[in-house]
Amino acid sequence: MLEIFDYDFMQRAFIVGLSLSILTSVLGSFVVLKRYAMLPDALSHIALLGVGIGLVTNSSPIYVPIIVAVIAGIAIEYLRYKKRLYSDAILSIFLSGALAMAIVLINLSDGFNASLFSYLFGSITAVSSEETIITVLFTIFSLVLLFGSYRKLLFATLDEDSAKASGVGVFGLNIMLVVLSAVTVALSMRIVGILLIGALMVLPISTALLYKESFYKTILMAIFFSLISVISGLFISFYFAISSGASIVLVALLFFVLSLFLNL
Amino acid sequence: MPLVKVKDLNYIVSDQTILSNISFEINQGEYVALVGPNGGGKSTLIKIILGLLNPSSGDIEILSTPQKKFKDYYKIGYVPQNVSLFDNNFPLSVYETVSLGLSSQKPWFSLLNKKDKQMIEISMDSTDISNLRDKNISELSGGQRQRVMIARALVSQPKILILDEPSTGVDIASQEKFYQFLKRLNIEKRLTIIFITHDLGVIADDVTNVLAVNQNLVFKGTAKEILSCESVSELYGTKSHIIGHHNHNH
Repeated sequence: MLEIFDYDFMQRAFIVGLSLSILTSVLGSFVVLKRYAMLPDALSHIALLGVGIGLVTNSSPIYVPIIVAVIAGIAIEYLRYKKRLYSDAILSIFLSGALAMAIVLINLSDGFNASLFSYLFGSITAVSSEETIITVLFTIFSLVLLFGSYRKLLFATLDEDSAKASGVGVFGLNIMLVVLSAVTVALSMRIVGILLIGALMVLPISTALLYKESFYKTILMAIFFSLISVISGLFISFYFAISSGASIVLVALLFFVLSLFLNL
Repeated sequence: MPLVKVKDLNYIVSDQTILSNISFEINQGEYVALVGPNGGGKSTLIKIILGLLNPSSGDIEILSTPQKKFKDYYKIGYVPQNVSLFDNNFPLSVYETVSLGLSSQKPWFSLLNKKDKQMIEISMDSTDISNLRDKNISELSGGQRQRVMIARALVSQPKILILDEPSTGVDIASQEKFYQFLKRLNIEKRLTIIFITHDLGVIADDVTNVLAVNQNLVFKGTAKEILSCESVSELYGTKSHIIGHHNHNH
C-alpha cells in the first residue's frame, strides 16, 4: 500500500495536501464564524481569472492567480467594511464577474484544455516542486501570523464593533485574513481544484462546530477532520484514478454527515 | 478632571441631524443614565465616544486626552446591546470569552501571563461566573451571558464602564441582580458607569446623574429631578413611560 510514496508527485501531493489541510481549517474557522463562508468560493473563481490571464499572456500559473486574488480580496473587504455593502452581494458580484472575465479570456486563448481541467477539479500530478516549497513556506508564515494575532482576530470575528471599541485594529486584521485566504485559495487550486476549494475551507470547521466545544478544541477538531479527509482523499485519488479534489471533499462531506447524525 | 468631556457635538448623516449641539462632562465615580426614546441618538452618541463613528463637528476628550489622540480604549469597558442574541453557534467557552477583553492590551505574539490569568479569575469571581468557566456560551441563559460580557469588559480594569441597553432579552429576576451588581461596582470600586437605556425607571434609584438625549441634550440632572420634570414630555412625548417602573427594591 505504501508504494504510493515511491512516486515523487505523490510525495509532493501529500506535503502540499497536509500543509493546506492545516492552513485551510484554521483560516476557514475564522472565515466561517465571520459568516463569510462564500469568501473562499469567490476567491477561487477570482483565481480562475488569474489562470485565464496566465493562459492568455503565457505568464506564471502560480503567481498571477495569487496576485489577482489578493487584489480582489482587498477590494472585497474594503467594500464590505468601509463602504458597509452587504458581504454576500459583494461576493456574488466578484464571483460572477471574475468567472465571466475568465471565460472570455479562456475563449480568447486555446479554449478548454486539459490543464484548465486540472485547475477546476484538482490533480495530484499537477503539483510542481516550486509549488510545494512555496506552499510549505507560506503555510508556516500564515500559521505564525494567525497564532500571533489569535486573540485579537478571535475578538474581531466574534463582534467587530466591540473589538473596535476596545481598541483592536479590526480592519487591518480583516485585510490580513482576506489576503491569507486569497493566497491559500490560489495555492490550493492545483490539488483541490477551483470548484472545490471552498468546500475544503468550510466543511471541516462546519463539522467541528457541531460538537459545540471551546474555540481552541474546535480548531483542533477541524484540523483533524481536514487532515484525515486530505490523506484519505489522496489515497482514493491514487488507487481509483478519481480527481483528488472530489475525493477529498467527499470524505470531508462524509465526516460532516456522520457528525450531524451523532449530534442530532 | 472629567473622564469624559463632550463639547458642541454634532452628528449629521445625509443632511439628517442625528445629534445636535451636545455638551456634557462625566466625572470619576459618577453613575450616569443616558436616556431617551428609541432613535433619539443615545447609541450613536456612545459610538462616537467609543470611536466607532466620527462626529461631524465638536470636541471630545477621554481621560483628559483629545479623542483623536486617544489610543487606550481598553480603559473603557463596553457591553454592547442584545447580549442575549449572541451567535449560538460560536464555539467559545466562558473563560475564552472573558479573556478576549485583554485583546487590545496584549501585543502580537504574546500569551496570557500570570497577571492576565489572575485578572480573568478576578473578573469571573466578581461577576459570579467562575463555576461556568468551561461551559460554551451557547449553553448559558440571557442573564449568565450578560454577566460574561460584563466580566469581559472588566478584565482590562477599565476606568469607565459603558453598557448599551444590556438588559434586552434578560429575565426580570436576573435584571434585578444585575442592577444591584452595577450599583456595588459603582459604590465599592468607584467605577464610573454610563448606562444607556430607554427606560430610566429600572435604575432611577441607583444613578447619580441623568443625561436625556433626543437629538439635543434635553435634560441634565439627577434622576429625582427628571422624574418630576415637565421636560420629560419633551423627551418622550409622554411622562408615563419613565415613571411606570420607578422603585425597584434592593
